[in-house]
Amino acid sequence: MSSIKEYLTNDHRRCDEVFANMEAKAGEDLSAAKELAQEFVADMERHFQMEERVMFLEFETKTGMTQGPTEIMRQEHTQMRNLMAQLLEAIENNDKDKFFGLSETLMILLQQHNMKEEQMLYTMAQQHLSPDADRIIAMMDSLIVE
Amino acid sequence: MNFTGLSLDQAPPISIPLRFFLVAPLFAIIAAVLLFVSGVENFSRFAPEVIAATHLITIGFFGFVMLGALTQMLPVIANATIKKVDKVAGASHLFIILGVLDMVYGFLEQNQTALIVAYGFLGSGFLLMVLSILNSISAITNFTPTIKAMINSLSFAFIVVLLGVFLLYEYANNSVSSVHISIANIHAALAIFGFAGILILGVVFQVLPMFYVASSFGKFFENKLVYIIGFGLLLWSITNLFFPHFVLLAKLYIALSFTVVGVGIWKKFDTRRRKVKDITVFYYRSGVIFLISGLLLWVLNDFTKYDFLLGSAVLTGSFILSIMQAMLYKIIPFLVWFHLNAKGYMSIPTMNEMIDKRLSNTQYILFVGAVVLFVCSFYVAILFYVSLLFFILSMIILEYNIIIPVTIYKKTIQTKPDFDMSAFKS
Repeated sequence: MSSIKEYLTNDHRRCDEVFANMEAKAGEDLSAAKELAQEFVADMERHFQMEERVMFLEFETKTGMTQGPTEIMRQEHTQMRNLMAQLLEAIENNDKDKFFGLSETLMILLQQHNMKEEQMLYTMAQQHLSPDADRIIAMMDSLIVE
Repeated sequence: MNFTGLSLDQAPPISIPLRFFLVAPLFAIIAAVLLFVSGVENFSRFAPEVIAATHLITIGFFGFVMLGALTQMLPVIANATIKKVDKVAGASHLFIILGVLDMVYGFLEQNQTALIVAYGFLGSGFLLMVLSILNSISAITNFTPTIKAMINSLSFAFIVVLLGVFLLYEYANNSVSSVHISIANIHAALAIFGFAGILILGVVFQVLPMFYVASSFGKFFENKLVYIIGFGLLLWSITNLFFPHFVLLAKLYIALSFTVVGVGIWKKFDTRRRKVKDITVFYYRSGVIFLISGLLLWVLNDFTKYDFLLGSAVLTGSFILSIMQAMLYKIIPFLVWFHLNAKGYMSIPTMNEMIDKRLSNTQYILFVGAVVLFVCSFYVAILFYVSLLFFILSMIILEYNIIIPVTIYKKTIQTKPDFDMSAFKS
C-alpha cells in the first residue's frame, strides 16, 4: 500500500528539480528558460489540483475540517499561482532581475508551504486516510488538469 | 494534532521577530565601539571590556537573532505557537535589552548593584522566553529531527542562563570561587556549541536541502549528530569540573563533531541543484571556513606555547555570525513580502528588490575583512582598530539592510498602493 505522504512529498521534490533546471537555464539565457518555466508552472498546477480536487476534499469529508489547514494551504496556492504568473511575464519581458527576484520569493514561499504540508498536513492525512490511500493516489495519478 | 500553526493569523505578528532582529546589529556596533575605545592593550580574556563586548555579541546579537527566528519558525517547522507571544516576547525583549546594557555598565564600572540587577533582568528575560518555547513544543506529537534539535538547544540555553546567572552573582559579590574558571569554560562552550551550534545544525539540515534544492543530510546528521554533540558537551562539563587532565579529550571530540557539521554544510553547497550564487551562499561558505579554522586554533592552543584562545573564539563566533546573517538576508525580506501579500497587497517589491545587492555585497566584504584583520591583529596590533572599523561599518550597513524592508512594510500599510482609487476619479 502506497503512502499519500510519500506520494505527494515525492511530487514536491520533482517540482523542485524542475524549478532548479528552470533557474539554471534562466541564468544562461532567460528566454531559453521559457519552456522549462512553463513545465514548472504546469507541474505545480497539477500538484495543486491533486491536492485541492482530491486529497483536500477527502480530508475535509473525513475530518469535517473545511476551514482549517486545507483552507490555509489553498490561500498559499493562490499566492504561488500569482507569483508564477508574474514569473512567466518576466520571461516575456526579458527582465532577468525581476525573474530572479520572483523566483527567490517563490522558492521561499514554496518551501515553507511544503514544510507545513509534509510535516503536518500530510502526516495528519496519512492518519485519517490510509485505508483509502490506494484509491486516493490512483485518483490523483489519473487527474486531468482543468 | 492541532493546526494552529497553519494559519497566518496564528503566526506571530511580524513586529515580534522584527523587534529582535532590528536591535541585533546595534549591540554588535556597541561591542566594537567598546573594544575600540578600550584599546588593543586591554584585549585579554578576563578584561571587563572584553567580557562586556563578548556578551553584547553573544546575548545582543546571537541571542536576539535566535529568539526572533524561533518565534517565527516554530509555527512553520514545529507547528507550535507560543502562548501570549506578544506579551512574552515583548517582556523578554525589554528585560534582555535592559539586562545586557546594565551588565555592560556593571562590568565597565565594576558596579555591584548594576550586576545584581543585570542578572535579574537577563535571567528572567531568557527564562521567560526559553520556558515559553519549551512549553509550546511540549504539545507537539510529531517530533521531527529539527524539533528534537530545538529542544536540545533550548535545554542547553536553560543551563547556560543558570550558569551565567551564577557567574554574574559571584562576580557581583566579589566571591569568585575556585571553580569559577571551570564554570566559565562550561558556560562558554555550552552557549556557543550547545545553544547556538545545535540550533544552527537543526535549522540547517532542514532548510538547506529545501531552499537550495539538495539531497537530505542523511540519517546520521539528522538523528545522531545532535546527541553526539550533546554527549561531547556533557564530557566537556564533567572533565572541566572533575577531571581537568582529560579536558583535551572532550575538546577534540567537540572539535571533530563540529568539523563534521562544517564539512557537511560545505558539501551540501557543492552538490546543490539550485546553483544561484547570492550573498547567503558566500556567508555559509565563509562561515564554514571560520568554523574549521576556529576549531583548529582551539585544539592547537593545547599543543603550542602561543595563546590561540581568543583567536579561536573570534573565528568560531564569526561562524555563528555568518550563518545568522545569511538567514537574516532571507528571513526578513520574505517576512515582509509574505505578510504584505497575505494582507492582499500585490504591488510589492520581490525579496531581491528589497535589499540593494551592492550594499549586501559590500556588507559581506567588510565583515569578512573585519574577521581576517582581527585574526591578523594578534601579530600586527594596529590592525585591531582597522578590523573594528570594518566591523562597525559592516554592522551599520546590515542594520540599514534590515531597516529598509521594514520601512517598505510600514509604507505599504500606510499608503495602501493596491487600494488606489484615483483611476476612478473624473
